Amino acid sequence: MRILVVDDSSTMRRIIINTLNKLGYKECHEAGNGREGVDKLASTPVDMVITDWNMPEMSGIDFIRAIRGNDATKKLPILMVTTNAAQDDIMEAMKAGVNNYVVKPFTPDTIKEKIESALKAA
Amino acid sequence: MIMSKEVLTQLLAATEEVFETMVFKPVSRQDPIEDETVRPASNVVATVAFAGHRRGLVAFHSSLGTARNIAGAMLGMPAEEINGEMPDAIGEIANMIAGSFRTKLAATEPACAIAVPTVTIGSDFSTRYLGQASRVLCPFQMDGEPIYVELILTGEQS
Repeated sequence: MRILVVDDSSTMRRIIINTLNKLGYKECHEAGNGREGVDKLASTPVDMVITDWNMPEMSGIDFIRAIRGNDATKKLPILMVTTNAAQDDIMEAMKAGVNNYVVKPFTPDTIKEKIESALKAA
Repeated sequence: MIMSKEVLTQLLAATEEVFETMVFKPVSRQDPIEDETVRPASNVVATVAFAGHRRGLVAFHSSLGTARNIAGAMLGMPAEEINGEMPDAIGEIANMIAGSFRTKLAATEPACAIAVPTVTIGSDFSTRYLGQASRVLCPFQMDGEPIYVELILTGEQS
């Protein structure tokens, strides 16, 4: 499975990709914000997107709206990984079209469970 | 002003959670310090401001060597190979502590908004907070090395 990881923190991208590799997801692509994510999706087909919320240039929420607004990507499973975990945040992300939600800090088991759940929900 | 016990408890829990799950190194807490004059000896300081129901900032302090050890542990790399990755990693530590702290508080009160992290690295600097504020400095030990998490709250909500 091909996964695009979008986060402005290179550390967090590396942690998420290391975690995905350990879980058996070996083909991972990365982008530093929502705008780069949109560009990457146009050139590199993937099976799932994992995105942060707070990013410069294009936030995770705007990125999700862009994915859902494009016929080519609107059905992609999307997992949001963020520190924004208040009830209102989760509601906003779900409304934008996220399939599941992981709160930082997280464990590999949580990522695994949420990926499986997001794939089922998509 | 004195920091409330509930706020302090949530900050300590957020810090421990971040180190256990993302750095894979448990930290041991020591007695929090409310003496305004005590400043940690640190070369790396990452701060994240927040505003809304509460206003203030969370700051993470460590030595350069400890910061490299933390970054190496997060990235799965030897600490001696860490260089350019360290500021981003320490900024993310502060971001996760502040974010987790915000989430824990939001269970019982309106959520605050948090800013992006700022990281300062150097050997001869100090920070000063202007205006009325309550402040607590929480020392921890990680692998026998000191790290500190500082919380500043301004205004009446402390």
